[in-house]
Amino acid sequence: MEFAIQLVFSGISVGSVYALIAMGMVLTFWTTRVINFGHGSLLMVGALLTVVLGAGRLGFYKAALIALVITAVLMVLAERAAVRPLVKLAGSMGWIVSTLGLGIFLQGFAAKFFGSQAVAFPSLLFTNDDAIPFLGIRLSAQYLSVLGLSLLIMVAMELFLRRAAWGRAVRAVAHDPDLSSIMGIPGRRVVVLSFAASGLLAGVAGIMTAQISGTVDPAFGFNLMVLGFVAGVIGGMGSSIGALTGGIFLGVLEKLVGGYVSTAAQHGIAFAVLMVVLAVRPQGLFGKEEITKV
Amino acid sequence: MKKNVKTVLGIMVVFLSVVAFLPMPGGVAMAADTIEIGMTSALTGPYNEYGEGNRRAVELAVEKWNRAGGIDGKKIEIALLLDDQLVPDRAVQNMRKILDNKEIVGIIGPAGSGPTLAVINMAAADGRPYMNPIAQTPAVTYPNGTDKPPRANVFSFALQNNVEAVILGKYVAKRFKKVGLIHESTAYGVTGVDLIRKELKTIAKIDPVAVESYNQKDQDMTAQVLRLQKAGAEVVVCVGLGADLAVLRRNMGRLNYNVPLVASNGALSLPYREGAKDLVLGTRGSMIGVFGQEKMNPAAEEFAKAYKAKYGVDRWWGDDPSRPQIFMALSVTNGYDAANILFEGIRRAKSTDPKKIIKGIESIRNYQGVNALYSFSSQRHHAIEPDDLAMFEYVKTPTGIKLSIAKD
Repeated sequence: MEFAIQLVFSGISVGSVYALIAMGMVLTFWTTRVINFGHGSLLMVGALLTVVLGAGRLGFYKAALIALVITAVLMVLAERAAVRPLVKLAGSMGWIVSTLGLGIFLQGFAAKFFGSQAVAFPSLLFTNDDAIPFLGIRLSAQYLSVLGLSLLIMVAMELFLRRAAWGRAVRAVAHDPDLSSIMGIPGRRVVVLSFAASGLLAGVAGIMTAQISGTVDPAFGFNLMVLGFVAGVIGGMGSSIGALTGGIFLGVLEKLVGGYVSTAAQHGIAFAVLMVVLAVRPQGLFGKEEITKV
Repeated sequence: MKKNVKTVLGIMVVFLSVVAFLPMPGGVAMAADTIEIGMTSALTGPYNEYGEGNRRAVELAVEKWNRAGGIDGKKIEIALLLDDQLVPDRAVQNMRKILDNKEIVGIIGPAGSGPTLAVINMAAADGRPYMNPIAQTPAVTYPNGTDKPPRANVFSFALQNNVEAVILGKYVAKRFKKVGLIHESTAYGVTGVDLIRKELKTIAKIDPVAVESYNQKDQDMTAQVLRLQKAGAEVVVCVGLGADLAVLRRNMGRLNYNVPLVASNGALSLPYREGAKDLVLGTRGSMIGVFGQEKMNPAAEEFAKAYKAKYGVDRWWGDDPSRPQIFMALSVTNGYDAANILFEGIRRAKSTDPKKIIKGIESIRNYQGVNALYSFSSQRHHAIEPDDLAMFEYVKTPTGIKLSIAKD
């Protein structure tokens, strides 16, 4: 019984990491229908900058704040350079290549100036050993903090969309950019702010995740981004509840397959589920089916 | 429109013609009075501690020989130095370039079993002497088994999996009955763990209680650790690289699974120490013992002096200014010994004919290298034996956690 409970908790924990990443990707999808495939590299930038800047007199907490500002600014620049020119062309999917290229560029830049090797990441909130006993198992405090943060962000995003004026503006731009512009909603500003928020979330995800793995290197974040993307598709791209649900569902499934079937099988299950979801319910669990009038 | 197409085609033809006559990257003008070697390795990328380490080592060996007059008055030169980032496809492309250069006399192969296995057949078919500095899979040198003859032109300075399995198997079988194995899913991990299983069976008729695997760069190994724990493993034996081993160790800590962790040489690398921090305490790993001995052998002393003079106390050297870190035997000095043996073979052959060089290497007996005393023959093309290894353990000292030869 403890075995199963530990697997489920582990799955929820890992899934909350996927959810955090998926929520960042959802933000840009809302406003521009663009999925940023350089999101993984932004995780890396957030974590790496925290280590590099924190090693000096700044201290790690101030360094983390600066790193978050930089990841937000990077996403604003990415929107200007890698996304905006390509979404102008109707039906263009060039942003897939340009955002992926952005990710590769950031990896190469980091490798060139900070080295290719993994560097130690400090424990900022909790140490590896901090845990809460529960029903005979140990709940890792590091993972609990990621889960708590994911829940908080999901609630905040939902409240923002439903209650805040800017949230309604985001929904309007997501629904119909041209009409919202005619209605006086500053569409360009909404898009830029959504990219900045996505960058901020990526930085947060990078910092929280690097604490768990203990190291960060230029390749950090890419594998997680792929799984975060899968979680987002399963839950429904465009829904923060979907991102959280998809992430946790994926995490729990991976761990249960790994625990009861084979640890080799847990790696492929995410993509098997992705194929099933795309075939059966492509809008995801909480996504809305899109109907286009021709 | 037709005129535009013709113009574009014309420009392309001119461009390609110019490029075809440009010198190849990394190449230099051929001279009759140089001995040229080629090398491909992970010079950049996440595994460059091996490739860049080997590059430095080979260059130090070249400088050492050239200072002494070269080989029969001819200077040695690395004519082609190529980067494969430990990616097999790139290693194949690089090896093709190296083999297409007929001036090249000897080859230093890639780091890692994946890229090496990808290139070894083409290198073996070519016939020029090939030095394998790092790839641990025995099939690189002994394609039909270690009890059969080796590939004619391949010489290995790696810590072969079968050699490491002997020391790991002996160490674990003497102390534990219920053994859990875990490995990375690459050729290195799979062959390594298979050999340890055979060794456990042979020595003490032990079957592991669980065998788990993970992909490189996995961020979480909870399922693997829980399965090992559920199976009742008294010890976890891991075949994998340092950064992933750190994730494993952290997972074990999080689950309060405090059985001994015994690992292959990745346990002694800097990424493991960086990732696992204080959790490294008690971890044991197998490694070439040269830099753990109280007194280093003369070749090791000479190398250490030369490396420190050129590169200083850096990531490859380690934290202790007075002596290189233990892991340097696998990231740097294996490449140094590989180059030295190649040059010694050419010197003995008094020729650049591949068959004569190979005979020259095979005639080497008791050559004092950094990592070991080397002897080769037509049946023996690997350099490192179990006697050259030691089991190391992370222990607490007044000045912090250090690696030392395991007392038991």
